[in-house]
Amino acid sequence: MAYLVMFHWGWLLASLLLGLAMGWIAVVHRGPSVSKITARWLGGLVAVLVVAALARVIPGRPGYWLDLGLLMFASYLVGCAVGSWLRDRVLSRHARAA
Amino acid sequence: MHGLFKWSSKWWPGLIPLVVFWIIAAWTSTPPLESDLAARSTAAVKDTLLDKRRIVVDGRDVTFAAEAFSEEGRRGAVGSVEAVPGVRLVNDETRLVPEAKPFVWSAERDVVRVTLGGSSPLPSTKGKLLETARAGLGGVEVVDQMKLSRGAPPRFDNAALLLVDQIGKLKDGKITISDDKVSLSGMARDLGGREAIAAALKNLPEGFSVAANEIKAPPYVFQAYKDPVAVTLTLTGYVPDSNAQAALATAAGRKFFSEKVVDNLKVSIGAPAGFANAVVPALGALSRLSTGTLVVSDREVKLSGDALYDAAAAQIRAGLGKDFPQGWQFKADISVKPPAAPVDATVCQQLLSDLLAKGRIRFESGRATIDPDSAGLLDRLVETALRCPSVNIEIAGHTDGDGEDGFNQALSEKRAQAVVDYLVKAGLPASRFTAIGYGSTQPVASNDTDEGKAQNRRIDFVVR
Repeated sequence: MAYLVMFHWGWLLASLLLGLAMGWIAVVHRGPSVSKITARWLGGLVAVLVVAALARVIPGRPGYWLDLGLLMFASYLVGCAVGSWLRDRVLSRHARAA
Repeated sequence: MHGLFKWSSKWWPGLIPLVVFWIIAAWTSTPPLESDLAARSTAAVKDTLLDKRRIVVDGRDVTFAAEAFSEEGRRGAVGSVEAVPGVRLVNDETRLVPEAKPFVWSAERDVVRVTLGGSSPLPSTKGKLLETARAGLGGVEVVDQMKLSRGAPPRFDNAALLLVDQIGKLKDGKITISDDKVSLSGMARDLGGREAIAAALKNLPEGFSVAANEIKAPPYVFQAYKDPVAVTLTLTGYVPDSNAQAALATAAGRKFFSEKVVDNLKVSIGAPAGFANAVVPALGALSRLSTGTLVVSDREVKLSGDALYDAAAAQIRAGLGKDFPQGWQFKADISVKPPAAPVDATVCQQLLSDLLAKGRIRFESGRATIDPDSAGLLDRLVETALRCPSVNIEIAGHTDGDGEDGFNQALSEKRAQAVVDYLVKAGLPASRFTAIGYGSTQPVASNDTDEGKAQNRRIDFVVR
């Protein structure tokens, strides 16, 4: 894990920044949201992929790509969470000021 | 927290660029990641003793194939690769180097190359053996056909290195180690090589023994060539020691009265028993030939050449083998030189006198028995006498001044008669020769010195 993070820090940073931006936008975004059922399915899919990665059942290059994808996804999620939280803080301070 | 759930339902659009990132990242990073992991894995097992190592990286999975020389080494190497950061899985395709039973190693020499084959316990041993072979053999090609195996006996390296040193002493042959038994076969390069190898085998490491040593010595060769044009006798080949060499040169000087003796002999051990007793009479037979070659190879004597007349050829063929020590063989290929053109009485006398000026007919001291060393000279005299069939020849015996006149007179007569008998036995008619003894009455030099006396003890051929 540490090796992958060191080797791909650039891509992980890019995912994090992408997540930050997306999280920042998401708070005020008015577009369609993911339904609860879809979100559950997506969560299940991610869980299966994580289990597959941890169990190392996918061999060779696909296994590596899966690891890389999940790491980038995790980094993206962290970025999103931080971005949304920051935007929310900023918005609530404005509201209080107003 | 509730907000986070709410917002998260709006995060999905970012997944589209994220997937694009992921594809690009996977596309660009896979080859460098694989080569980095391959380099790290190779470095991790660099110092481990392995054969046929192969490391293939697929994603983060390493396929590691190698042959190890011990179970601990094998496990250690796999562990080292597993511990490389970034490696996800190791496909362990390692195994132990096969065990050879019996453990056989060989070094074989033929005309052009030395081939090292069989099993070697470790790569370092293999390298050392090849290096030693190359260093010891000079420019000879050394071919490596050794494979690595487990199961070598203790101290194998020392034994194999000692034997590799011996291969240089062979002309051709094979040295084999089978477990702790050593077998040797072939032909030694030089005389004494067989003995040197036998001596070296005494230093084999403890535990090793010689099962068979069938190294043969090269033939012990002695050659003599009588060249009538250059008037030389060339001696080549081997003699047992410098005393024998001097004795042979002296014997050759006595038997070959007119030829210059060229001594190219080398001293070497390994002569067959009775060497001198066979070679000296064989040289005597060669001295009776006009031109000829004597080859002594081990205990086989081959004499070829041209005798001066028929009876001489027959005498050489029949007589020589009898003088040889037991176990010696004699092969004669003697032809007869075509007779030379007849000459008149004057030339005949001249030729006879020339011959007798170059050499003297010798007798045993105080007796009338012709010394065998004079056979060569007598044959030349017979040949000349055959060229002048119409002349009568007086064989005149002379002695030196020592002793009583009566004894000297009788001795000179007997010696002259002995020469006449030799000529008659050679096929000349007895009626052409008269044996006359002059005792010490006709000296040609002073009887006061040994040199003068030697000149006075003589046989003269006088054409009448």
